[in-house]
This record gives sequence, C-alpha cells and structure tokens, in this order.
Amino acid sequence: MVNWIQLQLLQALCVPPAPEPPDGSPDSVRIFRAGENYYRLRLVWWALSLFPMTIVVFAVSMIPHARKFGRLPYWLRFGVESAAVVSWFLLIAVIVSTYLLQRLNFEQRWYIVTDRSLRIRSGVWSLQELTMTFANIQDIRVTAGPLQGYFNLADLEVRSAGGGAARKPGETDQHTAYFEGVDNAEEIRELILDRLRKYRDAGLGDPQRFEAEAADSAETAAQAVLEEARALRKALLA
Amino acid sequence: MQPPIPAHIASIEKPEEKLLKYYVFQALATTIAFPFTMIYLYFHYHTMRYRFDEQGIRMTWGIFFHYEVMLNYARIQDVHLRSNALERWLGLARIEIQTASGGSDAQMTLEGLTDHDAVRDFLYSRMRGAHEQPVQQASPLAATLVEVATELRLIREGLEKQRHG
Repeated sequence: MVNWIQLQLLQALCVPPAPEPPDGSPDSVRIFRAGENYYRLRLVWWALSLFPMTIVVFAVSMIPHARKFGRLPYWLRFGVESAAVVSWFLLIAVIVSTYLLQRLNFEQRWYIVTDRSLRIRSGVWSLQELTMTFANIQDIRVTAGPLQGYFNLADLEVRSAGGGAARKPGETDQHTAYFEGVDNAEEIRELILDRLRKYRDAGLGDPQRFEAEAADSAETAAQAVLEEARALRKALLA
Repeated sequence: MQPPIPAHIASIEKPEEKLLKYYVFQALATTIAFPFTMIYLYFHYHTMRYRFDEQGIRMTWGIFFHYEVMLNYARIQDVHLRSNALERWLGLARIEIQTASGGSDAQMTLEGLTDHDAVRDFLYSRMRGAHEQPVQQASPLAATLVEVATELRLIREGLEKQRHG
C-alpha cells in the first residue's frame, strides 16, 4: 500500500527514473546509495520536527475541556472546537505526507562514481543532479556528527574549485558533491582517491610524484636506472 | 581536435515557450508584486538568447540593462540539472553551470530547455577531464627497467653495508 502511494506520488511529481551514469568505462561504474540507517536518522529528525506542532494541536484540543469554556459565547466555542478538529486533520495529513517524503527522500538518492566523473542525484519535490569530473576535484572531506556516528553514518563531501562559503548538506553549495548519509564513506573515499591518482593533473596531489611512482614511461624508468648506475659507480670508487 | 557541435545543440538559440508559462506561475507566487515581476520576466524571456559555438556558450539577456556571459567549455567545473515539480510538469529543467571563479552561485543558468538531458551530456562531453584517459599502467619495458634500477640499488646498498660492516 505504502509502495503504491509512493509510486503514484513519484508519477504525479514527474520524477524521472534512476539517473544514467555519465560517460566512462562501463566496468568502472559504481552506484552507491544512502545507508539504511540514514532513513532511521531521518525519521528521528522528522519526529523531533513534528513535536512542536503536535504540542500545539494538543493544546488547542484541550481548550474545550477547560472549566470556564462553557461560559464563552457560542460562536467562540464553535470556532475553537472547529479549530481543534481541523488542526487534528491537518496534523494527520502533515504526518502522513512528510513520512512518505522521508522514505522517498531516502530512496531517491544515487551516488554514481565512474572512472572519470561522479554524478549525484537527490530530491523528490525539488530535484538536483550534479555531474563533476575527477579532473576538477580539489578536496574530499568526510564528516560525521554525534548522531550520525551513533547510526554509523557519515557525509562525504567532494569539492571542486571555486569560491563561496561551504553550506550545510541539503543547501545549495554548488561546488560540493554531497554523498549524504552513507555507511561506507571510507570505501567511497578510497575509491575516489584511487581514481584521482590515475590523473596527472587532477586537483589533488603533486603530478610529478605520481609520475615517479607510476613510472609510466620507459624514459622515466631508464632515467632511474641511469641514476642508480651512477650512484653505484660512486659507491665503488669511494 | 573537438568534434563539431551536434546539430540539435547548435540549433538551440532561445528558450522554449513553456518557460513563459513557468514564469507566469513564478510571478503569481509573488502575489501583489505580480505585475512588476511579470513584466520583468516577460522581457527576460523575450530577450534571452543562447549560442553554442566551438569554444563555449554565449548567453545574452536584458533591455535596459544588457547582459552577456561567455563561458568556455573547458572551464566548466560542474554541471547541475535542477527542476522543481512545476518545471517537470512543463517538461523543463534548469542547467546551472559552475566555473572555478568566485561565488557559490551558478555562473550561467540555462533555462527553458526541454532537451536538457542532451545539453547536459553535451556539456559533460566538453568538460575538462571527461575524455581524459587514466594514465596507462607501466609498459613491460618500463617495468623491467624499474626492476633493473631496484637491483642496482640493492647491489649498491649491499656494497655500502659490507664496507661499513
């Protein structure tokens, strides 16, 4: 039943199906999703955010039970009682709709990593999709608050160059790709770092160092042999 | 040498008419400011022009204040595709393009495109790093030379150890 409602909601909101991975080697495509605990964490925040509204609705519905309520004029009593009933309906509607959105928000998240780029899609009502190549990545950050730590989750932030203050996840810091609420942040970080190392001019690291480490050309390797042969001669003659 | 601009991209010169419908809704959302917002958006829509050439995108708009933005494909940092439910109902989406210049807002926002996925894929194909192949693994010759260098180093170290020992 819940699935059916979700499907109808997705269709009504014209949400497109799962995103296509950006061009790259098909074998290299890895699709990550938010951790199952991310949904639980969202539910905790959802319940906390509904708490004040629930208190207000309770307070309004308690007014007709007050001792002096009967002395009020009829129109006022009618107004308060109507408000109490309407507020309960509103509360239930808000609870149901926001609950469905929590589930959908969790499910409608894709973090795609290829050998050349990454693509992140999130959102239901307002949909965001970001495509970024590894050649433009400047830094990677893993953050986890206490509650996220309890749920064994973390946010992985991948940043490209450009000004502007970093904002919180969910807001529009356009230079950052958020892998929000993942339970394998270390694995994703290592994967991205590993793929970044394969680029000479990626934003991270010193290109010359990678060149030396990789010994990617015969010329570099021959140079190393020459240097060693010279050092050996010096050692012999010393 | 870059391949020529695909015809379906090169032919994009102005936003689709659906954008004007979206602007009407957007202006309605401003309630009492509707007439002013609508006038601004109406002229914004009618003066908006795009040109996709070999080097980059050129976008112009405005009557009293004329704006022109040129952006080189190779300088694109990341491409955002954004849409709210109303835009999707109309078949629209915004493509926000970021460069490395200051500010966290988009440097260029392409609005009113119905073929937005194709434009996004085109921009991605011209971005720096989209075609770059990862560095090849060491060739057999390079690998052998590295081994020779390692052997030589071990010989030298052994020799030095013998002398000092």
